[in-house]
Amino acid sequence: MAANFWTSSHYKQLLDPDKVDVVQRLDKEKGLTLEEFRLIKIHMSLQIWKLALNVKVRQRVIATAITYLRRVYARVVDILKIAICLFSVCRKSMTEYDPRLVAPTCLYLASKVEESTVQARLLVFYIKKMCNYAGASSSDEKYRFEIKDILEMEMKVLEALDYYLVVFHPYRPLLQLLQDAGITDLTQVAWGLVNDTYKMDLILIHPPHMIALACIYIACVLKDKDLTTWFEELRVDMNIVKNISMEILEFFEYCRLDSKGNILIPEDRINAALNKVAAKP
Amino acid sequence: MGDGRSGGGGVNRPAWLQQYDLVGKIGEGTYGLVFLARTSLRKCCIAIKKFKQSKEGDGVSPTAIREIMLLRETCHENVVKLVNVHINHVDMSLYLAFDYAEYDLYEIIRHHREKLNHSINQYTVKSLLWQLLNGLNYLHSNWIIHRDLKPSNILVMGDGEEHGVVKIADFGLARIYQAPLKPLYENGVVVTIWYRAPELLLGAKHYTSAVDMWAVGCIFAELLTLKPLFQGVEAKATPNPFQLDQLDKIFKVLGHPTPERWPTLVNLPYWQNDQQHIQGHKYDNHGLHNFVTVPQKSPAYDLLSKMLEYDPRKRITAAQALEHEYFRMDPLPGRNALVPSQPGEKIVNYPTRPVDTTADFEGTVAVQPSQPVSSGNAASGNIAVASVAPSRSMPRSMHVVGMQRMPNTGMSTFNVAPQAGIGAPGSGNIPIPRGAAVQAHQQQLRRKDPSMGMQNPGYPQQKRRF
Repeated sequence: MAANFWTSSHYKQLLDPDKVDVVQRLDKEKGLTLEEFRLIKIHMSLQIWKLALNVKVRQRVIATAITYLRRVYARVVDILKIAICLFSVCRKSMTEYDPRLVAPTCLYLASKVEESTVQARLLVFYIKKMCNYAGASSSDEKYRFEIKDILEMEMKVLEALDYYLVVFHPYRPLLQLLQDAGITDLTQVAWGLVNDTYKMDLILIHPPHMIALACIYIACVLKDKDLTTWFEELRVDMNIVKNISMEILEFFEYCRLDSKGNILIPEDRINAALNKVAAKP
Repeated sequence: MGDGRSGGGGVNRPAWLQQYDLVGKIGEGTYGLVFLARTSLRKCCIAIKKFKQSKEGDGVSPTAIREIMLLRETCHENVVKLVNVHINHVDMSLYLAFDYAEYDLYEIIRHHREKLNHSINQYTVKSLLWQLLNGLNYLHSNWIIHRDLKPSNILVMGDGEEHGVVKIADFGLARIYQAPLKPLYENGVVVTIWYRAPELLLGAKHYTSAVDMWAVGCIFAELLTLKPLFQGVEAKATPNPFQLDQLDKIFKVLGHPTPERWPTLVNLPYWQNDQQHIQGHKYDNHGLHNFVTVPQKSPAYDLLSKMLEYDPRKRITAAQALEHEYFRMDPLPGRNALVPSQPGEKIVNYPTRPVDTTADFEGTVAVQPSQPVSSGNAASGNIAVASVAPSRSMPRSMHVVGMQRMPNTGMSTFNVAPQAGIGAPGSGNIPIPRGAAVQAHQQQLRRKDPSMGMQNPGYPQQKRRF
């Protein structure tokens, strides 16, 4: 239900970790590796973030947009359902659903869902502006889209999401849990960590409050706080919390971070990956 | 859900439409059209709402997005069921398919008022109201405010397994209210003012679920008397939150609100700004009992007056209303609201929805656009302004300027002269912990509360028989 996570479509749609990070057949044929598939998702999440800063929307809208983006390329229905309903929704390939267009479209759709609509023409304007800043990179042309492209893709994304639009995020539980634990001084660190989790697929796999707990767990380790008793009193499986935390830390190691904690992805690698899926057969 | 492959069929008949047999058009609004269709396989009736692509290049309309978003999550017997969504990529139109409901409260009330000339039987009124509250309680406990409840949005199922079951419909303005909601007029949205709560009319900046309960109170009174309780004339200039005439109509019936009974009244913008009209005491001889047909000491009257409580914080909630004495006494509410409780009573045959069979799915009416297909139904007078609707106005979703059920000429006959009597409706004075119904989801993992596992604490525990 819209306000109860346990009865929501979000909860029902949580995926097995091994089902999320899979390169779609069509993309595989183009030579896209799993590594490149991941890089594109990270890169596009960052693009949504940058674009959102330009059009000034709330954090929540960004988080919802990135969740949509990741769902488009991860959504799978079990075999049984496919057998019953031939037209059922399947994982979309990046070949058919160009991530450079899907990303801004997800932001566009999320802004409507979260009741802070951003006009498509504004998005198009800022996408072009961002491209100009990026310099004379070869792939710039491919980032240029018209309003019509976004509106067409909006419908395709709606369809790819199977019209499930309500998304729960770790932010709200995070604040409540920090309050409960009496460590609101860690808010900034933990909040930043939650932001970082959107560079991964965690939101498709775990309930948001578990992600929030993992971020609190890491924040405690970073800031040398002992919350062992508080965690023990929670009615949650701490093994899962610790596993999520490990995943987050591994991800940080995987991405080389610059001095400000920003992720650095070599542009040539991104372009190479994007060109693979964009190439006509 | 939603195949969306439109490649196959011609312009007039996208591939997915093959599964439906179009019967005809049943409604129209600025957002698009509503069709009646039968599923080719099971022959059950489906209402298909077609949203046009807006011309401004805004993509899928926010109204459609809200409706899809909320109805894709909801599942309740008294909330309309969204069975399918379809997209036609060729003309960028969006179709929502609902289970079809033959009747709505607007038509049921009108049939009694204009054709039968007798009131709706007690069992039916009580069953309709109970089911409406049951659906609303579900929505409110899940933090959804409908914001546009009115008789035409309350549907009732026709013949079949769900005969006489109430379905709350039209979620185009509904919202999840985890964060405070701004008034609709700030978005330039126009909704019917007759069912609008006094706090909104006085310029309250935020919605609460209490606005829906006010509307339910108005609908309850209308079910009892067959006429709208507060028929204000809308001030049309711009989306205008301040509707003096509507407030005047309310004051006439309920008396003037006072800061004593409604402490936060003094903070409302239009209370502060307009001393002459709002703070003045024009009506002394008021009293809800003069306007409704139920005895002043009856449970029905008590419940009604608690719904029409001025102070939104004291107004009865849907959950509390369901527990009210009114629903515990005979006749008890039932699942089929349209079947009389007593064997001897006559069954009312309500008119079925008129269908314009000349229209196709594109909405391009083939011939005679000005011919009223639904004779006999076009007589209501209140669709005269709707020049766009050849047949009749849309039974649902009237948040359309030209198509609102406005208090036109014919309606004035409903006004009842106020009589002497100073008894103000009972205030109830119930301290309502509004918003405490559902805890945020992570509450469920809190320690020391073994009852909170995976269950949904928000759902009403139904004790009813049906």
